Amino acid sequence: MFIAMLQQAPAETTRYMVAGYTVIFSVMMLYIISLIIRRRNLKRDLEMLNEMETKEK
Amino acid sequence: MESKPRWLNILDIVTLLLFITAVGMVFLYAPLEAVMGQVQRVFYFHVANAWVGMLGFMVAAFAGIAFLRKGDRMWDIVGMAAVEISFVFFFIAIVSGSIWARGSWGTWWTWDPRLTTAAIVELVYAAYLMLRQGIEDPDRRARFGAVYAILSFVSVPLTFISIRIFRTIHPVIIGSGAAGAEGSFDMTPKMLQTFMFSLLTFSFIFADLLWHRIRLGRLADQAENLKIKVLQ
Repeated sequence: MFIAMLQQAPAETTRYMVAGYTVIFSVMMLYIISLIIRRRNLKRDLEMLNEMETKEK
Repeated sequence: MESKPRWLNILDIVTLLLFITAVGMVFLYAPLEAVMGQVQRVFYFHVANAWVGMLGFMVAAFAGIAFLRKGDRMWDIVGMAAVEISFVFFFIAIVSGSIWARGSWGTWWTWDPRLTTAAIVELVYAAYLMLRQGIEDPDRRARFGAVYAILSFVSVPLTFISIRIFRTIHPVIIGSGAAGAEGSFDMTPKMLQTFMFSLLTFSFIFADLLWHRIRLGRLADQAENLKIKVLQ
């Protein structure tokens, strides 16, 4: 018991760990979503531009 | 429009599996650090994010050299893709580092050489992304991007060595740190395995995202060329 009293427990830092991983996962997810959205928009733009080009011909 | 390559599908799946395993190792396999407690677990992905940041800035510098030598627009797309991904991951590294610092040092931010140089790197590449937006002519934009990516890369090794040449409180993971470093810890074999696995996983994430971002860049290039053609 005496030895156990001498041993210091690790600092209580769980909330910082949760905050850190929330930032890591959220920003990564947002970036992946932004890639998907930009790709979808570009495909739509390309389809529209192709249509416009065909009409001009 | 090109269809998604089979190898990219395979890379997506492998990367996802590696990521799930890395998350499992961080939370279930790596032991609790005796002094810092749970916040030490941020370290695994914090360093891995910084690694991806530096790797991408290096790829962008090489792509810049390749563009100036060959004049192939493809290298401009590669450079832009690498900078964008690295900018995001380096941002994550800075923010997660700040959260780790609060739990470990008791402060969100200090003007330590490592933190200061990392902030400078992020601002330098933020300027790259903003300035590119302001150049209309694609060839001029590509030339500017190439030169900027090469010159700005100087700031990256400076950040890497800052904790080795200046007095700093930032811990050094590889090699020996300064006497005043706070938050250093001895890695147990399980911690080291988790750390190395995280680095490997994030290298795969970088490769996977780079491929996707290059495909997006090519699509944007195609749309831009078609827009010019239609408007003429």
